Amino acid sequence: MAVKAFSSEWASAFKDEVNKSSNYKSAAKGWKWTVGLVVEAEPDKHFPESKGIVMDLFDGEARDVTVGPAGDAQKCDFVITAPYSRWKEVATKQLDATKGMLQGKLKLKGDLPTIVRYTKASQEMTECTTRVPVEWPDEK
Amino acid sequence: MARRKVTSDQHRLVEYADSEPSAFASMLGGLIEANVSSRPEKEHDFDSLVASVGMWVTDIDEGVTLDFMGGRLVVHNGLMAGRTITIRTDADTVMSLSNLKIGPLGLPVYYDAIGRGVAAKLLRGRLKIEGLLPNILTLNAVTRIFSVQ
Repeated sequence: MAVKAFSSEWASAFKDEVNKSSNYKSAAKGWKWTVGLVVEAEPDKHFPESKGIVMDLFDGEARDVTVGPAGDAQKCDFVITAPYSRWKEVATKQLDATKGMLQGKLKLKGDLPTIVRYTKASQEMTECTTRVPVEWPDEK
Repeated sequence: MARRKVTSDQHRLVEYADSEPSAFASMLGGLIEANVSSRPEKEHDFDSLVASVGMWVTDIDEGVTLDFMGGRLVVHNGLMAGRTITIRTDADTVMSLSNLKIGPLGLPVYYDAIGRGVAAKLLRGRLKIEGLLPNILTLNAVTRIFSVQ
């Protein structure tokens, strides 16, 4: 059943997908930093307020994924910021996250060597987002 | 060995030729700066390397030129003339190149999974390196500076 985009239900489903992924588990071995995703508001797409997704990831496991204000996500060790429609492109496989970062479509803050070292893990995490059925506010 | 610190009163290790560096230029420059600042073993290569290295990412149609000037790097948006080596490949392979392990004698490791993947792309033409044969030592030095492993 589809869940509302970037809602608490979405966060829970996403966490489950991450924890089901054996690829993520092996690729993210040794990861010990928090990751924040900032989803910037796009009122014309019926996404009126920015949201922050805080991911507590540790050694191949998603310990917690929560949705709250953008400011919470901005405090994480790594922060990836993009408007709502860009994140939708990532979650629907229209935009590859690695290419998006190289093109500046997804803005990354954090230690670059660490994130590059875990490229496979971040790619698998992106795959996990595509497996969550989502109800997009601009498609109602 | 003391780690090199980048401070405002020192010259920057990495500078950008363009007033608005592209996202790719900022990412590569930032990656190299962080690598050299935090990994003393990369300093020797960075301090001695003099070469102009182009990198073109085929699936985003963007590239940069890395001008290594013996202890300083200037990053240009796009490919500039007079390059020593030019690497042309897709975004995924750029990430794999930066994940190549460095083995004995400072040589990139091509026998583990990532190394084999890079070598296969080279053989299949999905990774093209212009100027490779006369500049193999330069390529190895660039790989060591670029590698996050």
